[in-house]
Amino acid sequence: MSDRSGRVPDSEPDAMLEIQMAELARLVQFPETPEITPAVIDAIASGSRRITWSQPGLLRRGIALGVLATILVASAAGAVGIGIGAIQIKFADGTPLPTPVTSIRLRTLGREVSLEQADAAVAWPIIVPHDPVLGEPDAIYLNAIPSGGTVSFVWGPREGIPAAADGISLVVTEFRADIAPEAFEKMIDEGTTVEKVYVNGLPGWWIEGGTHAFFYRDQNGDMVDTSLRLVGSALIWDSGRLAIRVEGAPDLKTAMRVAGSLE
Amino acid sequence: MERARRGDVVAYEELVRRYEEVAYRTAFLVCGDADEARDAAQEGFIRAWRALPSFKAGAEPRPWLLAIVANAARNRRRGSTRRAALGLRLAADPLSGGAAPSPEGSVLAGERRTALLQAVERLKPEDRLVIGLRWFVELDEAAMAAVLKVPRGTVKSRLSRAMRRLRDEVGSDV
Repeated sequence: MSDRSGRVPDSEPDAMLEIQMAELARLVQFPETPEITPAVIDAIASGSRRITWSQPGLLRRGIALGVLATILVASAAGAVGIGIGAIQIKFADGTPLPTPVTSIRLRTLGREVSLEQADAAVAWPIIVPHDPVLGEPDAIYLNAIPSGGTVSFVWGPREGIPAAADGISLVVTEFRADIAPEAFEKMIDEGTTVEKVYVNGLPGWWIEGGTHAFFYRDQNGDMVDTSLRLVGSALIWDSGRLAIRVEGAPDLKTAMRVAGSLE
Repeated sequence: MERARRGDVVAYEELVRRYEEVAYRTAFLVCGDADEARDAAQEGFIRAWRALPSFKAGAEPRPWLLAIVANAARNRRRGSTRRAALGLRLAADPLSGGAAPSPEGSVLAGERRTALLQAVERLKPEDRLVIGLRWFVELDEAAMAAVLKVPRGTVKSRLSRAMRRLRDEVGSDV
């Protein structure tokens, strides 16, 4: 309500102006929000106030290109599966279907860290691969998802293990597998073979050929794709608290050798 | 937040990711510069990590985090000579097609919005900040009070005065 001068008293909101501000707010554009999180976490992990902007290396660029390629998810309808611990392997009803990108989050290895930084960031004792043929990993990555974090050891090309288009030959990934209600699901199509194996005495699966992607369902029930490979082979097992997968090994023997080197 | 308080960096990373946009925008409104806002947001989150032991368990983290980020932005503003207008821009209105306004109507609406945004830019920094926090970052009173370091009642009166001055600034243009 306005007074005789036509002005709105201080105590009363100017309804028309508020409507116009709400309309304006809908269209106002701020500068694009830059990447803030990696620099913050780097500074925290290093225990330093120094803020550094990490430049993506060749390997990481390769990954970014690779993961943006094609996202496939098997039809969940009517899928049947087998499982160990928190890991469920589901056989799709036919050819994997394209899924709208908005329905799942893109895969990423996270940010590159040192082993010490990774160890400080996660709650479990990291199991480190010591395979003499592969040698030291070329990079270690830390990702915040799924809950509890993911640590990935990554190798570039090695003798007998050619690199894929993303520059990676082999990846060993560790993440918590005991966090309810998230369920981990390996979705595979009908061109994939699954063999039950024992890894260091623990039951696991050797998944070979065809198309397969690794998901978990977050607390909202949304599927989150954490696959690094859509094709190729993967050895995956559940150690009770920790799920571990080896991706990119050319055969089961190589994958088991790498798995056996974890300590 | 509880996991972060116990020193879980991964949990804190999730928290930073969740609030980085609102923190950056808040810092931008406070210091008025995109690069300074980025640095202030980073510095604020790092300070917040160190201050986590003092965070009250069960409290809402957003006002607390934004207060620390805003402090970092204020410190940077004091050290900077840049005081220009924010330089905010308007996007094309995606809803204008749905309402099927006349071309003339669309132009007038666009001009009216531009005039209003320019009026916001002309306000004194303290009025622009309180209006920006309320309308453009959509903070609630608790978060605004934390950012502005004033009681919630003061937020109301400051916002009311700022809106009044905005009305004076735009006059009959909008």
